[in-house]
Amino acid sequence: MRAVHYLNQFFAGLGGEEAADSSPTRLEGAAGPGRGLGIEIAMTLTCGDDFFGEHEDEALVTLLRWLTDEQPDVLVCGPSFGSGRYGYACGTLAREAARRGIPTVCAMHPESPGVFAAEGAAYIVPTGTNVASMRETLPKVAALATRLAAGEELGSPQEEGYLPRGLRRNEHAGASGATRAIQMLLGKLSGETRTEVTAAFDHVAPPPPAHDLRLETLALVTEAGCVPQGNPDGLPTIRARAWLRYPIGTASSMAAGAFECVHGGFDVTAANADPNRLVPLDVVSQLVREGRIGRLHESFYTTTGNGTPVATSTKFGQEIGLELKQAGVGAVLLSGT
Amino acid sequence: MFVTALPTIATMIGANRVVRGVAITNVFGDPSRSPASEVALRRKIVERALEMLETDVEPGAVWEVA
Amino acid sequence: MQLELASYPVAEIDLESTLAGMAFADSRFAAVETAIVEPGESVRLTHVLDAAEPRVKVEDPDATFPGALGTLRRAGEGRTNRIAGAAVVACANFPAEERPLHEQEGLVDMTGPGAEHSLFSSTTNVVLSFTPTESVSNEEFESAVRETKLRVARDLAAQTVGREPLHVETFTHRLGGTEGDGLPAVALLLQLSSLGPLYEIYLYGTTLAGFQPTVINPLEVLDGALTCGEYHWAALRNPTYHFQNSALVRGLLAADGKRLRFAGVIACRGYNQSANDKERAAMLAAKLARELSAGGAIVTTDAGGNSHTDTMLTVRACEQAGIRTVAIVAEMGGLTDYVPEADAIVSVGNGEEYVAEWLPDRVIGGDTLLDGRPAADCGPVPVRNYLGAACQMGDLDLRAVTW
Repeated sequence: MRAVHYLNQFFAGLGGEEAADSSPTRLEGAAGPGRGLGIEIAMTLTCGDDFFGEHEDEALVTLLRWLTDEQPDVLVCGPSFGSGRYGYACGTLAREAARRGIPTVCAMHPESPGVFAAEGAAYIVPTGTNVASMRETLPKVAALATRLAAGEELGSPQEEGYLPRGLRRNEHAGASGATRAIQMLLGKLSGETRTEVTAAFDHVAPPPPAHDLRLETLALVTEAGCVPQGNPDGLPTIRARAWLRYPIGTASSMAAGAFECVHGGFDVTAANADPNRLVPLDVVSQLVREGRIGRLHESFYTTTGNGTPVATSTKFGQEIGLELKQAGVGAVLLSGT
Repeated sequence: MFVTALPTIATMIGANRVVRGVAITNVFGDPSRSPASEVALRRKIVERALEMLETDVEPGAVWEVA
Repeated sequence: MQLELASYPVAEIDLESTLAGMAFADSRFAAVETAIVEPGESVRLTHVLDAAEPRVKVEDPDATFPGALGTLRRAGEGRTNRIAGAAVVACANFPAEERPLHEQEGLVDMTGPGAEHSLFSSTTNVVLSFTPTESVSNEEFESAVRETKLRVARDLAAQTVGREPLHVETFTHRLGGTEGDGLPAVALLLQLSSLGPLYEIYLYGTTLAGFQPTVINPLEVLDGALTCGEYHWAALRNPTYHFQNSALVRGLLAADGKRLRFAGVIACRGYNQSANDKERAAMLAAKLARELSAGGAIVTTDAGGNSHTDTMLTVRACEQAGIRTVAIVAEMGGLTDYVPEADAIVSVGNGEEYVAEWLPDRVIGGDTLLDGRPAADCGPVPVRNYLGAACQMGDLDLRAVTW
């Protein structure tokens, strides 16, 4: 079994706060608490907590390169306990490693920002807030790491002692949904409300308003699957894996016959008869001409919002948002069906 | 900002500036109207969206088009 | 209303001879293949459109599946015979391109890890595989398939007439339900899809386009008034059999006068297409529930996508009208829609989960799945492809939990 261990500057022995800006470093074998895990550690990676926080992309590039060169059977991050910056670094690296096929175990306090950063991709052993729980944590981490390295599938969070990862998995309830619904309603009517599922989405605060759109660039984005006639890039009707951008050029309207809608979740007849019904280019162009909007961004962005997993949609949003931000776009009109 | 006929989904997933559109099949339109009337409706919806972009809002705000 | 449902176990019925004597010639079909498949056989059924339980109205067989097949006569009354433990399963691939159906494959595995994801791994299935002619349209073909399937279901059940049943159940229901000391009044708000051709539930043979919430009798639900003509979202849609044997309707009838007062069933359309239509329908459904004096309501869902918004808006309207609700929804990784008022939801499973790979000895319905993979060796299958796996009337016992 080949394991890699990630530690921050302090636990790796590079120093305390004064070394928090250390760039990523690679060490042979185990270091610090890694020696107490009782498993074979091929390599220890370390990075200063501040460096990671301030140069995340750069740190990840280096760390992930070392990881993929090493091809370990498992990655262990931390334990980071209640630490915010260290926890965040562990969770972020764990997420990226896990998504590249390296099973990862972390250990941190359940309220550490690293739990959120991991996005359910890693197995996180819950710990206390500080190093006092090191002794009881290490064996748990080692046990999970060993089994993951062996390719074992783990049981439920409750059975195995890791934090729920936010995955929704099926089981036999022992009673039909119908029976459970009647039971749940009678319970609710006698004052005991229970649920089997609730919505769990991350929320961001509303950005401050645009000062004056007459001075801003507006971009048009849609999940209605609006594409040039013939769908030249093959946007799927359902479960799209990508978003596309198309130049608006000098067009002042989405002309029927020049554009079509390939979304598979609704009747596209009305949209194909007049694509402005989904991407309001005619009106927006007019508003630009009148000066109500400063500029219209040169491209519109499109995907099919039909059966797209939330993680994929989130990624689309981040990618499109980043591109628009870098292009100086100040506001987006997103149309959804 | 997000124009959709399904504002409940929008607020569930965390959209903050939402204007309620007409229908799933035609968010910014209404085929039952005459072309001129439909464009006028589309303009009203877009202008409402622009207004919302220029306004401070509480999280999950949903505006109607008058 | 009162309905007598007489059950005849499938083992006592000679399906083969009856089937052999049936004619399937139809100008819309190039071929119809038949097969009888038992639980436990290493068989995978593909391109499954619908499954219906063999039923016949004893006093008037021509009125079986009224409106959809038979003459229009009120369902839910008199005597109906059923072949218990059997289903007529229709398999077909549509001739013309039907864009939204891509990747909406419908499967039944008669054994293996997929078997627990469908009721029809436990029924003796009379499988009808239809091949369309070159020139027939999707809608004409679909109509012929649907009618034929119901006809076979009726004619198979007709073999039971005059014979002794294993048992007879008697169901009664009166609007408002059976009163009892302090029993809460509960309404069932049953969502039925109407999204256009190939995505319709039929009420007495007509679609629910333009439908407003309407009171129907639970016995009509059990007795063939509702038939399935929707072919998307295999795990989440409501096959005919699921209406005929609805655990929810049966459960509420059984509890009527004992644990609750079953006030009635309100049929609601799923997939209202405009925001206003959705809000209006939700308001009217809640209003009807109020008029039935319901203090509680169970709201079901049909299929996936924006029908879940109809469910949530209905929940919200009911709660705002003082009616406490429970919603039944399937998850696709998570909830499709949600309102804060939906604080009691039954989750009938996550359609995005995968079932382990299984290699059947035999495939019926089509050797290639809609996505191009070979049906006999297609790797892990998503739960969403198994017929009725996450039926949102709660007929199975699957549930999603957080890992």
